[in-house]
This record gives sequence, C-alpha cells and structure tokens, in this order.
Amino acid sequence: MPVRRQLGSRFESTDTDVVLVEDLHREFGAPLLRHVRKAIGNDLQWAEDVVQETLVRAWRNAGRLQREPGLLWAWLLTVARRIVIDGRRRRGTRPQEVEPADANAVPVPDGADRALEAMIVAEALRELSPEHREVIEQTYLRDRTINEAAEILGIPPGTVKSRLYYGIRALRKVLKERGVAS
Amino acid sequence: MFSSPHHDVAAYALGVLDEEDHEAFQRHLMTCEECQIELRELCEVPGFLDGLRRDRSNSMDDGRMSH
Repeated sequence: MPVRRQLGSRFESTDTDVVLVEDLHREFGAPLLRHVRKAIGNDLQWAEDVVQETLVRAWRNAGRLQREPGLLWAWLLTVARRIVIDGRRRRGTRPQEVEPADANAVPVPDGADRALEAMIVAEALRELSPEHREVIEQTYLRDRTINEAAEILGIPPGTVKSRLYYGIRALRKVLKERGVAS
Repeated sequence: MFSSPHHDVAAYALGVLDEEDHEAFQRHLMTCEECQIELRELCEVPGFLDGLRRDRSNSMDDGRMSH
C-alpha cells in the first residue's frame, strides 16, 4: 500500500502507526477519493496523492485528533481541500482552466446528477445577498485566501471571514431546503 | 466589523485561511466543541461548490445561467 511505503521512507514509524494509517485508509480512503476527485476533476494520480498526503497528515496529528468519526471526517475533508488548493496555487492553475480530460482517467460517475446538482447550487448561490455571494466567489471559487480576497475587495480580512461564515451557513440552509445538503 | 474566532470555521472548512490563521484555528478547534459541531455541519458545503466550479470550467457563465 502506498501509504505504508511513504511512512516507511519518510518517517520513523512503529507498527501501531502503520496500522492506524491503514485503518484510516480502509475507513475513509474511498469516500475521500470521491470528494477529492469532485474538486480536481480527471487527474486521478493527483487525487490519489492528495488522499495519501491527507491520511499521512492525519496520522501525524493523531494525538490531537479525537477518534470521533464525524469530526475526523470533517477534518480529513478540510485538510484534503487545503492540499488541493495549495497544489493548484503552486501549479498556477485556476479553476477556470481545468486540465483537459486524460484518456487514461477513470470517468467521474453520475455526470447527469452532477450537472443537475451544479445548477441547483448556482441557483442557491444567487439567492444569497450580494455581499455573501461575493466573498464565496472571491475566495473559494478563485482559490484565493482570506487576505488576498480582502485586498481585492478593499475590506478588512475580519469582514471577509464573517461574511463568509454567514454566507456559507446561508448557502447550506438553502441547499438543505432544496434537499441537496444534509 | 469584528470577526469572532468562531467565524473562522467557515474559512477553515473552505481551506482559504492564510497559513497563520489556519494553524491558530486548528489549535482552537481542538478545544472548542461549538466549532467542532459547526465544522461537521459545514464540511460538505465546499463539495457542492466544487460541482459549480467544474460547471463554470465548461464555459457556463453566470450570465447565461440567470433567468
């Protein structure tokens, strides 16, 4: 298993550590890969690297992470997202310039469902206040950090954060009403 | 406008906090039950936005999609 190889070469690991990473991989590897692929598209190799890096980071933070599955899952999703954004920024690619489909890539399933979901999300986003929509677009949708977006928008970073907080909560509420989010 | 440390949870979930704030919030999260609950609630929302982003990459812009 790739995670085991990486642990063996990069870290001093005990058998217990390897078991923990393998446990994480078994429990969260597949759903995490699905989420990562949704974020990055057809680059399966990159997606697998992101999952691997996420699980290794989880292992390194194991002492601080509570073994509460809901929180652990939320943490894994967040760390994976961060790794994707960092990678994208390093590569200098922007979301508008997603790489063309790789002939060897496994196609992302449920294409029609995805398109429908995207339409519902776009509609939900339009229901938000312009301020809330703006900070979501200027941060996450453009791979910008809070401070970068604050500079572009000419407002304090704290304001971006709190608008983002209320905006994301409002978006979740609309998505729940539409039966999309849980 | 002032921003409470708890407000960082959304930016954290989206992965857009600057490095220092990201580290600080991560430490806060480990001790704040309220933020842990909120992170669990919000963590799937960015995934929905991902769908929109790929949609945009297929040149379906806002103008065409409105109305």
